[in-house]
Amino acid sequence: MADEQKAAPTPGGVPRREGGHSGHGGGHGGPRREGGPGGGGPGGPGGPGGRPRGKRQYFRKKKVCKFCVEKMDFIDYKRADILSQFVQERGKILPRRMTGVCARHQRWLGVAIKRARNIALLPFAGSAAGTQAPRVVVPGAPVHVAPAAQPAVAPAAVTPTASAEAPKA
Amino acid sequence: MEERLYDLVFIVRPATPEEEIKKVLTVVEHTVAEKGGKIEKTEQWGTRKLAYRVAKHREGIYVHQEIRTTHGELIAELERRLRVQDNVIKYQTVRLDEDLKRQKKLTLKREKRAARRPRRTAAPTPAPAPAAPEQNAAAAS
Repeated sequence: MADEQKAAPTPGGVPRREGGHSGHGGGHGGPRREGGPGGGGPGGPGGPGGRPRGKRQYFRKKKVCKFCVEKMDFIDYKRADILSQFVQERGKILPRRMTGVCARHQRWLGVAIKRARNIALLPFAGSAAGTQAPRVVVPGAPVHVAPAAQPAVAPAAVTPTASAEAPKA
Repeated sequence: MEERLYDLVFIVRPATPEEEIKKVLTVVEHTVAEKGGKIEKTEQWGTRKLAYRVAKHREGIYVHQEIRTTHGELIAELERRLRVQDNVIKYQTVRLDEDLKRQKKLTLKREKRAARRPRRTAAPTPAPAPAAPEQNAAAAS
C-alpha cells in the first residue's frame, strides 16, 4: 500500500528511491519497477510478496487487530479468558497471520501469555479449555462457591474446621 | 527515587484454612512495611483450576496484590520469604509501572489526536468501525 501512495503523485516522474522497504511490494504500483514476475499481478491472495508458494497460498484474513479496535493499551496477563483466544488448542501461541493482531500488540500479547503461563493461568502445553476470568473475592467476606467452579474437593476453606491435617508438612 | 508498582500473584495450596492464608498475608504485610512500601490492593480469587500440576496439586488458591514502593530490594526480600512458606506453591512478581506509564502516554496521545481532528460523521470508514468494537466488546465481555 505504501507503493501505491508513492506512485500515485508521480505517474511518470522522478523515480522515488527513498525507503528501501518498498522492495518487496512486488509488481504493484511503480511502472518503472520492472521487478519480477508478479508484474501487475491481481494480488489474489493479497499477502506480502504476492508470489504463491507451491502448495499453500498466503491466506490472510482481512482482519483488524482486536486490541487496536478496542483500544486496549495494556494487555493484562491475569485475564486468561482473553489470552486463551490467541492460544492454540495445544497451548502454543497463534501466529499473527491467523489472528490478525498487529505487530505491536502481538509482542505484548506474547509477553502476557508467557507471564500467565508462569503463574499457571495458561498451560505450557495441553488444552487451555476452561480458562476463566479471575473471580475477585474480598478477603474476609464469605466466599460463595460459584457454579462455574471446578469439581472442587473442598470448597474454598470457609468452614473453620479445626483441621491440623491441612499442612502436610 | 521514582516509585515503582509491582504486581504480586501467589498460589496457596488448595483447602488451606483461612487463617493460614491470613498468616501469609501478614508476612507480606510485615515485609512491605519494613522496607517502606505500601500494599495498594489485595484480591483473593479463590480456588481455581491450575493449568498444569504444581507441587502435585491441580488446584490452588490465588491471591493477588499490588505493591507500591521506592525500594526495589523489597521484592527480593518478599520473594525470599514467600519461598520459605510451605503453603505457597508458586509466586510471581511483575513490575508494572513502565507498562502503565506507556499505556497512559498512548491514551493521552490518542485523545489528543481525536480532539485535534474534527470528527466527520459522514466518513464511510468510521461507520463500520464503531459497530465492530461494540460487537467485540460485547463478545469479549
